[in-house]
Amino acid sequence: MRISNLILMLLVLVAGLAVAQQISRDEYLKEYEARAKYMTSIYDTASGMSFNNIAVRYAHNIDIAWADSMFIDTLKDPHGDMFWMYPCINTYVLGKGKMSDATKAAVRNAWKTYAPYRGDTENHWAMYYASLFIAAEQWPGLPGSEWYNGKSSDENRMEAKDYLIHWIKITTTIGQGEFDSPDYLPEYMNAMHLLANFAQDAEMKQRGVMMMDYLLADFAAEHLDGQYLGGFSRIYEPAVYKPLNSAGSAFAYLYFGTGAPTYSGWATFAALGSYRLPQILYYIATDRSKPYVEKERKRVRNVIRFGNEKNPPVYKYTYVTKNYGLGSLQGGILQPIQQHTWGVRYIYGRPYTTIFGLHPYWSSLELGMFFPEEIKPLIADVVASKGTYNNPDKWTGGSPFERTFQHLNTLLVLYDIVPGTTTEHIDGFFPANLEQRIVDPSGWIICKAGDTYVGWYPLQEYEWKAEKSKEAQVKSGTTGWPGAQKEENDFWRLRSHELQNGYVIEVRSKSEIGSFEKFVASLRTRIPKSVLKPGSVSVRYTTLNNDKMYFAFPDVRTLNGKAVDLSKTKLFDSPFLHAEVGSEMLTMTYKGEKRILDFKNLKIVE
Amino acid sequence: MTKRKLSPAVVFILLCSLQPQRLAAQESTVYASVLSSKLFVVGAANPNTGLHYQHPSEDTTWHHIGAARIRAFGVATDESSKGETLYIASGNGVHKSTDGGTTWRITTGWEITEVQCVTPDPGNKDIVYIATAYGVYKSTDGCATWEQMNEGLAFPYFTQSIIIDRSDSKTLYCAFEEGVYVSHDAAASWKRTGLHVANTRVVVQHPKDPKTLFVGTEDEGLYVTHNGGKWWSKTEAGIDHTTFYAIAFDPNHPDTIYAGGYVSGVYKSIDGGVNWKRKSNGLEYQTIHSIAVDPANSSRVYAGTIFGGIYHTENGGETWKSAGLPGAQIYRIVIQPN
Repeated sequence: MRISNLILMLLVLVAGLAVAQQISRDEYLKEYEARAKYMTSIYDTASGMSFNNIAVRYAHNIDIAWADSMFIDTLKDPHGDMFWMYPCINTYVLGKGKMSDATKAAVRNAWKTYAPYRGDTENHWAMYYASLFIAAEQWPGLPGSEWYNGKSSDENRMEAKDYLIHWIKITTTIGQGEFDSPDYLPEYMNAMHLLANFAQDAEMKQRGVMMMDYLLADFAAEHLDGQYLGGFSRIYEPAVYKPLNSAGSAFAYLYFGTGAPTYSGWATFAALGSYRLPQILYYIATDRSKPYVEKERKRVRNVIRFGNEKNPPVYKYTYVTKNYGLGSLQGGILQPIQQHTWGVRYIYGRPYTTIFGLHPYWSSLELGMFFPEEIKPLIADVVASKGTYNNPDKWTGGSPFERTFQHLNTLLVLYDIVPGTTTEHIDGFFPANLEQRIVDPSGWIICKAGDTYVGWYPLQEYEWKAEKSKEAQVKSGTTGWPGAQKEENDFWRLRSHELQNGYVIEVRSKSEIGSFEKFVASLRTRIPKSVLKPGSVSVRYTTLNNDKMYFAFPDVRTLNGKAVDLSKTKLFDSPFLHAEVGSEMLTMTYKGEKRILDFKNLKIVE
Repeated sequence: MTKRKLSPAVVFILLCSLQPQRLAAQESTVYASVLSSKLFVVGAANPNTGLHYQHPSEDTTWHHIGAARIRAFGVATDESSKGETLYIASGNGVHKSTDGGTTWRITTGWEITEVQCVTPDPGNKDIVYIATAYGVYKSTDGCATWEQMNEGLAFPYFTQSIIIDRSDSKTLYCAFEEGVYVSHDAAASWKRTGLHVANTRVVVQHPKDPKTLFVGTEDEGLYVTHNGGKWWSKTEAGIDHTTFYAIAFDPNHPDTIYAGGYVSGVYKSIDGGVNWKRKSNGLEYQTIHSIAVDPANSSRVYAGTIFGGIYHTENGGETWKSAGLPGAQIYRIVIQPN
């Protein structure tokens, strides 16, 4: 490591220590610039064919001839679809004032001859159309013969604009579909970053800025120490149990100054850009002086078969403290393949800073709900890229036989699994680096992770399995594509084979309940009562806070005798964020300060 | 007796008269829509997918045309254009070429995606129907604009196959999630036929008898109607499989029918679909998604597999051999008799 890089690293580490102290705007910006420099300067001298290497050379005005040469080489075999489109056009706009005419011609030719696939997920489309919009603006007035899809510059620009406005509207009215994904946040950030930085259309530029705010607000309110909290639409292994491995954590580091310093290529373009996080979002992301509940409403990815509604609602509930966050989705199939229904994440014991459970379900019906290919061969198709999908030991995925009910820092999870389902067990993930993992005679499994205490009461018999290593999927922080990687794991797997099943989770911190011994003693007085028969699965439980919860599978939830109606959940509802369903608005609040994103009028009100 | 040297023109005429089918076949073009070639991951360096073609009697090479890395669910040709007008149904929408595949235009916008099947009206080149994951769309101006045509269909609108009645271009049939639906007003409205089986995958019409239709389903086998869909019967004599994605008539001998589906191999009937025999000798991949009989040579049949590329037979299904594109998922095969 060069001395300059070492000094830079020390600077950013010192800056990181200051985060919890709620620094001023000037201080924040100064530290932000240091982090951005740290994240991009590695590419000043990095060799190899990579858009990051080329873009940073242009942005930092270093070795332009090398950048030109490498750009032209890269464009000889374009591939990667929208993962090619956004770095390509971003690199072009960063360097077009410096690059040679031959390089410009090579870029133009690539957009004429290489036909990217539009993809089949929301993040694909966001990147595809944001990139196409910028490209169409860069080369206006060209006929269809000059574009890969046969459409003119105007047609491409209008189609892209129309889709992006549509996506923003549904996101700000009924919620994001590919929501709160620690691993796919970067794709949205990079798409919106393009608009925010480079759109010539002033309205689209404004939309880009506002959506950057929106996505980061969503993250900030469910963020702790660089980690996304709660249930997620999509996450990879091993990031699901090593949270800082998620590509999205690079944005926490860049914008919030939290987590771990990283050179992740996912955030390179953002770090080169002109967008700056509003100070209010920095405070929301880092002020954990008081515990709070964040309730959110999202939507299920487009259902194309086996459903009654195109975008059913997703209800998300997250309890956030300075030590941990416990969060959940209501359960069921809300996203294919990579759903994370619930988990507690905390600040102790990196990298294994989480405890969670799941029913590792898979089926061709689940895939057929969302993908248009033939149902039966789909599993083989999916496994080709998501290798753990049909693995009974996997750590990601939702299940139609799983439901949750959360109130504050207490969570009830129930399962009523139909016999013959692809997996007839449920699993729980417990890191081996917990300070304590006690199997108490009361039935509670009681864990200590620093100042965070987790109680897990299994409703059925179970077994423990120590697991040291496994093949896992990882979304790489620098190459930009998920691939197989050997991971050395070290955790305990709780496995229960009963089909009618469930557990109760209680989480407290030292500041909430006192000593670990007191937590243990309190749990011993709280034994859930359950009914676990096929078609009749329920649990009755009085929490450590003396709230009476009753939960019957699938969707009967009562709190202190009163029915809980999830359908009333707002788009955002917490001390920091507020948005009504259908409103196209988001209000951020922090200690008397407000920032309102008004997408109807394309205004930011402060 | 002196030998007379025949002029090249006479040789050509003689050959034509001796082997009319063979020469005709040399001129046909086989189009295959490739969903994936081995692995397909959006964003990765995938091998070529999309539209491929070959002139089978000239050589066995598959040539690629159009966008290189799209998931192509379907292909169609405007027969009257002699292969100049081509359509691809893909995740990106409907691609159209009017110069034999040299240049292409995606004719649909962002609203239309996951196009499963494209069906141009042979009697009116401006009219094109598509079946999509979100229902049926129609263009009446050569694909310049599109209109959703879901009246009478119920959510979810997933439609996999759409055909135009050969005897009446205003009558259409579609394989829909809740059964086979019929329209008698050029897709303005739809009604369910007598078949209430869920998850129908493909519907095909008899080449000569427009009231006879066959339908392949997910898990429910093959069905046939002889009265335009009023009532249906299951045809299962000799069939051991339940999921069928592909059905093809021999256009020259309509009592000969081929069908294939999930791990089924190819079934053949020579009595109009009453009895079936499995004809899979040489098929190394048993999941069949597309079948096409060469109209110029009834013995030559192509089968597109899932993950095994294309197979063909020169003897009506008695033996099959790989015809290329190994590892590919072939969703549709169309033979253009030039």
